[in-house]
Parts: sequence; C-alpha cells; structure tokens
Amino acid sequence: MSVADAEVLAPTRARKRDTGAQLRRRPNRARQGRAVAYHLVVGTICALWLLPIALVIITSFRSFNDIAAHGLGSAPHSFTAGGYSQAWSAGGEKHAMINSFLVTIPAVTITLGLSAMAAFALSRYRIPLRRTILLVMLAGNLLPPQILLVPVAKLSEVLGIFDTLNSVIAVHVGFGLGFYTFVLQGFMRTIPTEIQDAAIIDGAGSIQVFWRIILPLSRPALAALGALSFTWIFNDLLWAITVLRSDYRMPITPALLALQGQYVSRWNMIAAGSVIAAVPTVAVFLRFQRHFVAGLTLGSVK
Amino acid sequence: MSSELTRRGFLVGVGAAGAAAALGGCATSTSSKTAKQTGGKVTLQSDLSSPQAKAAMEKLIAAFNKRGGAQASLNTVAAETFRTQLPSYLTSGNAPDVYTEGAGSVARAYADKGLLLDVTDVWKSMGNYSAALKNLSTDSKGRQIFVPTAYYWWGMFYRKSNFAKWGVQPARTWDEFVTLCKTLKSKGAVPIGIGAGGTPGTPWVASSWFDYLDIRINGAAFHRDVLAGKHSFADPKVKKVFSQWQTVLPYFDPKGTARSFQDATTALVQGETAMMLIGTFFADAAPKEVLADIDFFQFPIIDPSVPVAEEAPTDGFFASSRSSHVSGAKDLLTYLATAPAQELYTSQSSGISLPANPTAKDSGTALVVKGKAMLANAADLTQFFNRDSSDALQPTADNALVKFLQKPDQIGSILTDWQTAATQVRSH
Repeated sequence: MSVADAEVLAPTRARKRDTGAQLRRRPNRARQGRAVAYHLVVGTICALWLLPIALVIITSFRSFNDIAAHGLGSAPHSFTAGGYSQAWSAGGEKHAMINSFLVTIPAVTITLGLSAMAAFALSRYRIPLRRTILLVMLAGNLLPPQILLVPVAKLSEVLGIFDTLNSVIAVHVGFGLGFYTFVLQGFMRTIPTEIQDAAIIDGAGSIQVFWRIILPLSRPALAALGALSFTWIFNDLLWAITVLRSDYRMPITPALLALQGQYVSRWNMIAAGSVIAAVPTVAVFLRFQRHFVAGLTLGSVK
Repeated sequence: MSSELTRRGFLVGVGAAGAAAALGGCATSTSSKTAKQTGGKVTLQSDLSSPQAKAAMEKLIAAFNKRGGAQASLNTVAAETFRTQLPSYLTSGNAPDVYTEGAGSVARAYADKGLLLDVTDVWKSMGNYSAALKNLSTDSKGRQIFVPTAYYWWGMFYRKSNFAKWGVQPARTWDEFVTLCKTLKSKGAVPIGIGAGGTPGTPWVASSWFDYLDIRINGAAFHRDVLAGKHSFADPKVKKVFSQWQTVLPYFDPKGTARSFQDATTALVQGETAMMLIGTFFADAAPKEVLADIDFFQFPIIDPSVPVAEEAPTDGFFASSRSSHVSGAKDLLTYLATAPAQELYTSQSSGISLPANPTAKDSGTALVVKGKAMLANAADLTQFFNRDSSDALQPTADNALVKFLQKPDQIGSILTDWQTAATQVRSH
C-alpha cells in the first residue's frame, strides 16, 4: 500500500527507482502488477485528457474547405498553416497579444509588489485590526467578482479610465491584492523571527529587512503566485470586455471570441487562434512548473 | 539618513503617492476626453466579426473617409458580446454613434425607449427605396429610425447534382413536397436536413420552420399577431401549424437536434441529407467549389388562398440618440444607403445577400437572381422569429421547437408551456 501511495504521490521518482537494478534484484509480482495497472489507468486518463487538445491542434492545421466538405469530426484531408496566419494577421491576434502582455506584466508586478509589502507589515508587525484586515481580505475573495461587473464599469467611466488598458490593470490589481496578501502573509509568518531580529541587531531598518531578508526568502511563494496570477490575468475575459470597448485595445481572449463569425465560424482559424493564445501561458507553466504545484499548498501549513 | 520606516514617514509617503495617482488620474481623464472631441470621428460599432466581413467593413469605412467631410472609425466586437452589450452601449455616456442591427421589432423597441436617433432626414436621400423597407424602418411614432442596407432570403436549398442523381424535381405545393420526401427516403437519403443543436448550438434555425408553416397556413398578419402576443401559442390555429409539420416530421434528419447548422450544411454537401430550409448565410459554411452546384426552391405553398409571404431578414444600421456626432452619423448613414457603398460591401463580403438600394447592382449569380425574384413576387415579407418579436422571446421558441422535434406527441403541453414562458418574458 505504501508503495502504491508513494508512486501516486511521486511517480517520477518511483519510476526511476523501478527501472534501476533494485527491481531486478527483488522481483515482486504483486508490485509489478500494481505498476502495470497504475500505468494503464493513468495512461488512459492522460489520453482522454489530451484528446480535445489533440483535436484542436489537428483542426488548426486543416483548411476550411476540408472542414466544410468532410465535417469537423472527420479525418483530415488537408494540411495547411493558413489558419495560423489568418488568425495572427487578419484576425488581429498579433495586436491583441501585445495588449495582453501590456496588461498582464504590469498587473502581475504591481499586485505582487503591493501585496508583498502589505503581507510583510501584516505578518511582522503588531498592526491594530490586523486580523480584521485579513478577514476582510479573505471575505472579499469569497464574493463572486461577477456581482461587481456593473459597478466596476460605471466607476471606470466616472474615473475617466473606461476603455483604457490602465482600467484593466487597475481591476486586476484590485481584485488580486486580497488573495495574494492573504497567501503571502501566511508564508511570511513561517520565516523565523530570529533572522529578522539578527538583522535588526545589525542595524537594518524595516525597509532593509523587507528588501534584503523577507523578500529573498519569499521567492518561492512569489514565483508560485507570479505564475498563477500570470495565467489568471492572461486568460481573463470577463473584466476585459467589461471595461474595454475598442477592438484595438482588446487582449487576446476577447480577440479569440471575435474570431467567431456572426453565423458561420471558421473552425480551423479559431483552433489556430486558440493554440496561439495558449502559447504564453503554457510557456510560463513549463518555466514555473515546480512552483505551480508548490503554489497549490502555499500557506496551508503554518 | 536612517532607513527606519517611521509611521509618519510612511503616511507622508502614502499621501504623496496617492496625490500623484489622483493627479495622474485627472490628467488621463482630461486627455481621454479631449482625444474624443478632437478626434471627432463617428464610431461605427459592428458585430460583423468574421475576418472577411470585417475586412469588407474596413474597406467601406475607408471609402467613406476618403470622400472628405465627416470621418468614421470602425469598432468590431464579437456578435455574442455585441448582442448582450447593446443595451449598455445605448445607455452609456460615451456611446458609439452608429450600430449594425437587424430591422424589425428589436430596433422599434429601442426606439420606443427613446434610445435611437431619428433618421428621417437620411431617408430624404433614399426616395428610391421600397415602401415596404421604409415601413420596416419606421417606429410607432412614424419616425424613421433605421437604415436598411442588405437583405437575404430563406429557401429549401439542395444540390442540383444530387437531385439529378435521385431523379427528383423541386416541389411547389405541399403535396408535391410530401411525395418528394417519400421518393428521397426510398432512395436512401435523409430528405430534410436541419441543424437545430450542436455546439455552439443553433436551435434558432428551427424557428424558420415555424415561421414558414405559420405564414403559409395562417398568413403573415396572423403570424405577426402571434409573435406580438395578440394570440396564444396554444391557439388552435397555431396547433394546425404543428399538425402540418408532423406530416413531414418522419422525413427529418434524426440527428438534426444534435447538429449545428454548420454541421448540417456539411451533411447536405456530402449528400447525406437531400435539402434544408436555411438562410443564404449558410453558403459561407459550404466549400467554395460546391456553391455552383447549389440551388433552392421556395417553401411549398400549402393553402393557395393565403397571400404568399416570404422571410426576408433585413440588415442595416441605426444610430444612438445620445450620439455626440449627430450630423456625422447621419452623413455615414446616408453614405451607407447609397448604391456604390452597398455594391462595395456586397463585392467584398463572402455572403450571398441582396443590396437594399434598388439601383445597386447585386452579385448577379443565378442564385441571387432567383432569390431576388422570389422576394419581389411576395405579397408580404417577414423578418424572422426574433426580429419580428424580440431576442428575449427567441429562447422560448428554441425550447418549444427542439422539444417538438424530439417528442412530437407531447405537442399539447409543449404549446401551453411555450405560452407560459412567453407571457413571463413579455411581462418583464
């Protein structure tokens, strides 16, 4: 049982051990059977999981005439990258991709910077109403943001930032702050106070403690949150279409939506557009893969 | 200098940052406002988001701007986003000026709320438009609020080569139609294709069957009254529509409620189904080399004593009454109503449509000539279910009709449920 559990929890490590000499030295039928069953089940689930993605990629390389003549579900009769160039230039994805980065990078940087400072203060100093502040931040996360669609749209109009990329950044910073602060302060509380005390004895001020001690030690948490918030903000559709109106300011997700025609949709182009839109988030995921998993359990242990 | 963070220093810093942000906010807000005024461009909010239609619209706007005078800019959003956001566009402070829209009661409903610009002036330049189109563009107070630019038709589309292969002829009357279905079935084809399901779902195409059967059996006037709520959907005359429909239901594609109309088009192209009641926009979903092989016939006549009406959904533009560029918006609408503008759009976009301006040249293909003649001979024209009622009523029809296609024996309860749902929608 413990072996199977270990394999489920850490399949890569377990497999490395299995393929080694250890397995040949001590042949264990039950264990082998379990391994086979495990790989069969996981393999099937993986195949089912990857099937839609494979379909999208195959569709993206077909021509529209082929899809129209043989149907979306048929075997491909054509191979062309025309869908990609159509989505990229005529579909306006090139411009939308730039917009997406113009929103995502500042939004992630500002949110993480501000919430790291807030978390530092909340976790390290006896601030009056500390618990209340944290609870309010947590409570804010429990509310579905959708109920604020209309107020946010009106507010951005009143502030004169409606239909600007700044308004999207502001919305993401505003809605992100609470969650990131809550998670980061949980992480920062686990950093031993002795390190900070030592720094203070050596003459470091609050800013130095924050900048040179806490921030470097919080790097895993910041990396995990950075990767998560990048995907969240990059994939956001709702806020973008709430506070933006001009087509040339839209980020990639609304642009993808706009690839659909009024009646007829060119599935090859839409599939190609989806693949393009997924590239940045997949790249970030691959780069920060380790932190992603760490991010899921962040702040759970104190 | 100590780097110790004092409370006072912190508060001063925050205050300074806040003030800077507030000032920055002022700066951006004023600059954005002035940008809007100095730009002075008429914005055209368009839901024609497919790359080809979008490119055609861009060419049209470029041609308008080249004339000198008022300048316009195009803003294209996804059709779905457009549909849901239109009410907020029309009521917001800095609304776009001109919008793409279908003619009919949706536009009239906005006009009754005072949200649309009176474009009676624009119609002064449109003297050659038919009285029917002018009527369609007039609101309850007798003002013109809509400028039609194109329309299209619905028909029973089929592949000429397949009909030749099966040795069958298009039907003119209902009896001929039933015989045609029988023959097609005996040849192993699914006689009637439909795409009233799928993802993204297109259940609304089923409404074309309801519309056509109703205008053939009860006439266009009764049909409009039903949609306006003057008769119940459970009315015996409406029931007659469904008993007529039931006589051909066995010839419908059993997969019809699981397919989108785009997939149903593929089935028609492949010869799996023999014919399909659909609007000309379906041609965009057919491979180009097949288009020459496609023909249509008029929806069969059921009762010769009922004046023949056809579905002819009309597309065009209206303007917001809150527009800050009234004269520019009117200039743009006047231009869009001209023959050269409509010829430019028709030649650039891929769809089969007829220009609304009678002097504008259409694409002249055999299909277009035939469709135009059919509509010209019609005694009355209807728009489509949602355009003759409201977008809110359409889902009630979708539910009822798809359920009917799946469980035709429950028609009694389906119609009473439909009436209940419709009453609820209308009371809102």
